[in-house]
Amino acid sequence: MKSSTVRTYTTVHTWTGLIAGFGLFIAFFAGALTVFHHDIATWQSPPWRMTADADVTPDQLAQRLLQAHPDARKDFGIVLAPPGVARPPYAYWPEGGEERFATASAIDQPTEDATRGNLADFVYALHDSLGFPTVGMYFMGIVSILYGLALFSGLIIHLPHLVRDLFAMRSGKNLKRLWQDAHNVIGVLSLPFHLIFAMTGALLCLFAITFATLNVVAFDGKLFDAFGKAIATAPVIAPSGEAAPMLTLDELMQRARVQALKQGVTSFEPDYVHFSNYGDRKAVVEVRGLSQHTLGTYGTVAMNAVDGSVLETHVGKAQNTNGITNSAMYSLHFGSFGGRTVQWLYFVLGLMGAFLFYSGNLLWIESRRKRRMEDQPMKTRIMASATVGVCIGSCLGIAASFGATMLADVYGADAGLWQRVACYGFVIASAIYAWFRPLPRATRDLLWLNAVLYVALGAIDLVRNLQVWTQPWTPQASAVLGVDLTGIAMGIGFAFLARASWRRATQGDPNSVWSLDATTAPAT
Amino acid sequence: MISRCLAGVLLGIPLAACTLALALHWMPNRGQDWLIPVLILFFPLWTTVMIASYMFRSGLRAWVVLGSSNIAVFALLWLSRHLAG
Repeated sequence: MKSSTVRTYTTVHTWTGLIAGFGLFIAFFAGALTVFHHDIATWQSPPWRMTADADVTPDQLAQRLLQAHPDARKDFGIVLAPPGVARPPYAYWPEGGEERFATASAIDQPTEDATRGNLADFVYALHDSLGFPTVGMYFMGIVSILYGLALFSGLIIHLPHLVRDLFAMRSGKNLKRLWQDAHNVIGVLSLPFHLIFAMTGALLCLFAITFATLNVVAFDGKLFDAFGKAIATAPVIAPSGEAAPMLTLDELMQRARVQALKQGVTSFEPDYVHFSNYGDRKAVVEVRGLSQHTLGTYGTVAMNAVDGSVLETHVGKAQNTNGITNSAMYSLHFGSFGGRTVQWLYFVLGLMGAFLFYSGNLLWIESRRKRRMEDQPMKTRIMASATVGVCIGSCLGIAASFGATMLADVYGADAGLWQRVACYGFVIASAIYAWFRPLPRATRDLLWLNAVLYVALGAIDLVRNLQVWTQPWTPQASAVLGVDLTGIAMGIGFAFLARASWRRATQGDPNSVWSLDATTAPAT
Repeated sequence: MISRCLAGVLLGIPLAACTLALALHWMPNRGQDWLIPVLILFFPLWTTVMIASYMFRSGLRAWVVLGSSNIAVFALLWLSRHLAG
């Protein structure tokens, strides 16, 4: 390849990486945790610590909803808590063109934000929109597109030396080369995984805009109709006008499970139920469930809600190409297709992805380093402060939101508010700290603070649940234990990073923004 | 560089969109059974056009080639819809 071509793509790679890097770091770090969404939900509301409304059954919720909002019978859904989580189910229904959500006791004051206060959903919101609905989501969609460009251009640059350099880890005196090698090997080895994320990430975030654009540009306005048909999983049946008693939700879910298991899946765990024309003889119920060990993780069974006769099945081998692709897109993105093994794989790959963006910034800084001068250029100093403040700061922010959730639970405060205050507060404080304090010291301090916070949170929660560890073991107990131990392990990891960066500051090459000597020595 | 970048970003959208629409149009049942897998290809296709546009010798060339590809694909799509039925 011509050297000018390589130069062009290096420029593309550098700029897309720099612009999107911070967003991607947060998306990957929070995303690695989001893989364990259910476990974090269990950590927050384990069955031995009941939250309000947690004992309301989905049937009772449906009754209360229809008493308070009779019009909702035409179209409403019930979102079930993950199995074993002491969290109330909540209802969803459209009213005046807007979405409404409420749990049983708040049925008269529905909200537009279904999951306020749920830590797992907050971490997820950080992952997909930095916690800012709509605006943040579009922002992350653009970040995903830049990420795709960075991937392609990185591959083009790296392609000529792919085989020769792939497993080279030159850990000699030249620290930059070691970082470069690590950046390359992680980038190339996890490439399939990154391709999936760049593609599905852009799609999930920018779906509405993309769809509207395609509809106008290339589909003559007919895309909405075609798409509706492609994703429909329940027949549209007009109400008969005759009232009839509905089967209970337990019964309907049981029938859906039986029907699903006939399609070759090994499990079917209902997580959402949707009714059309509840109370009518021709009412349709749609049960959505999660299956393990299949790429088509989400499947649905549509039934008549009066007699439970199956109308349509979209599970396992009964899925069509559209359904299986739709479902596979989610399971490939969230790593929900292969049980615990795949979850851990995604977790590790997610953290490695975060490293990829951190190391990318570091390489940019290092390659602009003036080896013979003590004074380093201002732009590298700015970039280095931002990298430390935002990246290490967002790890702190996430830990802080875990801590705030725990405190809010103990003091009965509004968890949703305190999660946000703690998370953004820590990120902003870190960024300010990294700006004003000499950078090597700021790096060390923030990494140590991370180490202390992660270990402390894990340890405090272990002590808090002390009586549970002596009881007979349940899957929920091991999920909570898993979250605590992972937190402690991450804390130990941060401690290692803190030590390494301090070693760099005191013993490494002196002419660098990372070196203590350069920043303390008077300029000559 | 900026000109080639813009050509790829702006002309890549209709080019990718019309290519997919064309592919669907020629599939059995107007591609209804393959709608979602084909739509998913939009972002990879757009990204490929954006990346490939840096291969052009100049910005002008990028605009001309991508512009005429757009016209060609759009014309083909229009003809398939209105003549082939």
